[in-house]
Amino acid sequence: MSEILPSFPNSAFVQDIVILAKPALFNIYFAFASIPFGFPFAVVLALMKNSSSGLVSRIARVYIYAFRGSPLFIQFFMFYSLMLAFNLSHWKPMGIDHIVMHPLFIGPLVLVLNTSAYAAEILYGALRAVPHLELEAAKAIGMNRLQTFRSVVWPNMIRLAWPAYTNEVIFLFHATAIVYFTLPVINDEKDLMNKAGELFEKDYNVFLHFSVAALYFLVISLMIFFVAGLIQKRLNRHKVPTDRQSLSYKPTFLR
Amino acid sequence: MLEALSLWISNHVSADAAMWFDYFTNGKHLAWYASVRFTLIAAFGGAALAVLFGLAGASARRSGFAPFRWLGWGYTTMVRGIPDVLIILFFPLAFEQGVEWLMAQQACSAAELASGVWPPCDGAQWYLSTTEYLIMACVSLGLVYGAFAANVVYGAMDAVPASQLEAAKAYGFTKRQIFMRFQVRQMWIYALPGLSNVWMLLLKATAFLSLLQIADIVLWAERLGAPNYFARAGMLHPDWRWRYYLVLFLFYILMTVLSEYFFKFLEKRASRGMRLNQGEATA
Repeated sequence: MSEILPSFPNSAFVQDIVILAKPALFNIYFAFASIPFGFPFAVVLALMKNSSSGLVSRIARVYIYAFRGSPLFIQFFMFYSLMLAFNLSHWKPMGIDHIVMHPLFIGPLVLVLNTSAYAAEILYGALRAVPHLELEAAKAIGMNRLQTFRSVVWPNMIRLAWPAYTNEVIFLFHATAIVYFTLPVINDEKDLMNKAGELFEKDYNVFLHFSVAALYFLVISLMIFFVAGLIQKRLNRHKVPTDRQSLSYKPTFLR
Repeated sequence: MLEALSLWISNHVSADAAMWFDYFTNGKHLAWYASVRFTLIAAFGGAALAVLFGLAGASARRSGFAPFRWLGWGYTTMVRGIPDVLIILFFPLAFEQGVEWLMAQQACSAAELASGVWPPCDGAQWYLSTTEYLIMACVSLGLVYGAFAANVVYGAMDAVPASQLEAAKAYGFTKRQIFMRFQVRQMWIYALPGLSNVWMLLLKATAFLSLLQIADIVLWAERLGAPNYFARAGMLHPDWRWRYYLVLFLFYILMTVLSEYFFKFLEKRASRGMRLNQGEATA
């Protein structure tokens, strides 16, 4: 390590930061591979829950309740063992082997199922909060349902749900810490918790390794807040600014 | 008693039913059922400590003494920016090492202390049992969700009508009395919905107990579900882990349903005599 960082030859802290950079990418991967699938799925679930059809609404309700009401830790174990029991390891989609049971596949899969339930609840709340007068106005000028959705419901829903959704993304990112507690580690594909644990087992320096791992989580969380804040600003750009909206670290504590 | 029941079932129902009855009441299964106590102890103990830490954190954040405010702010923000599982793993390890360090100062010679290996000598080994791990699990759950609760309580204290506090001041109560007798007493109704949410998070975090070497329901589910091809070890079965995890999945959902009913009841009780508009009681 001293070749890479000649100026800090003995700083264990800096060495840890370097060692844990690659594992951090795994956490980032798990979170950001889940969002592109989890978000659209959550929108569908929220619309289903809001549906006037009793059956559709009930299906979405049960799904959301089940996934919000049980630990992700158990969900990981359950889906992994389900896939093992049904011999999905022999399934080769598009002729590609060893993909279905790979943690880099199952990890995001379960995270998508989990986060979409939480996000759907947030989006559903926002959907119910869409201003009624705007909906009536859309009806009055003769918009059909699709037009109403596109120009009234959707923009309002996203804008209202955004702060809570940011919070959910942070929770999702933090949830990636338990992926490798439940799934097998292949080669040196380790995430922050794993690698910190491995380093800990070598020298029992719990304060150093776990602090650096925590620092990574903290810094990446801050970056997510920053980017989400910029998007939040853009979503509200039509609004008259009452007081300056800051991009400070303002975590919400509810999930 | 179990044997008598099994015999009765085999005579009056069917041999098949008796076989399943025997399977579900064998020693391992009974141990599994009994291990629910760890989950419940961790949940209730953690919740009690979380409320305590929450009150302390919220009080610190509105203290007149700036370092306390910073401490309160630092506690709530730090914990919120770090995954719960990291703290739940870190705290027991750190605490154990802290105690071992203190023990080493007493038990080991100077040469051993300077050797740089850990632990320096056998006298400084602290062997932890399930009880100690369980206590530490409670404390770490309390620490993590105490930060969440602190935020809820902090918001709820603001929701107490200012006129009540002013009236208390006019009656000549001291600052401390106003805080303890009016603000803390009255904030509960505003804090309950938020605290219910924190409780749900804490309940779900009790699944992590197996990471602290506690033989909890998750660990037993894995042991019971593992394939058994050895006739003397009991019923032969392939990999049944998913069935056992499914049971846990349903167990936690059931706990959530029960908690929801309980908190609804609490809210109703706490808000008697109060006129709250719909949705006002959200912190």
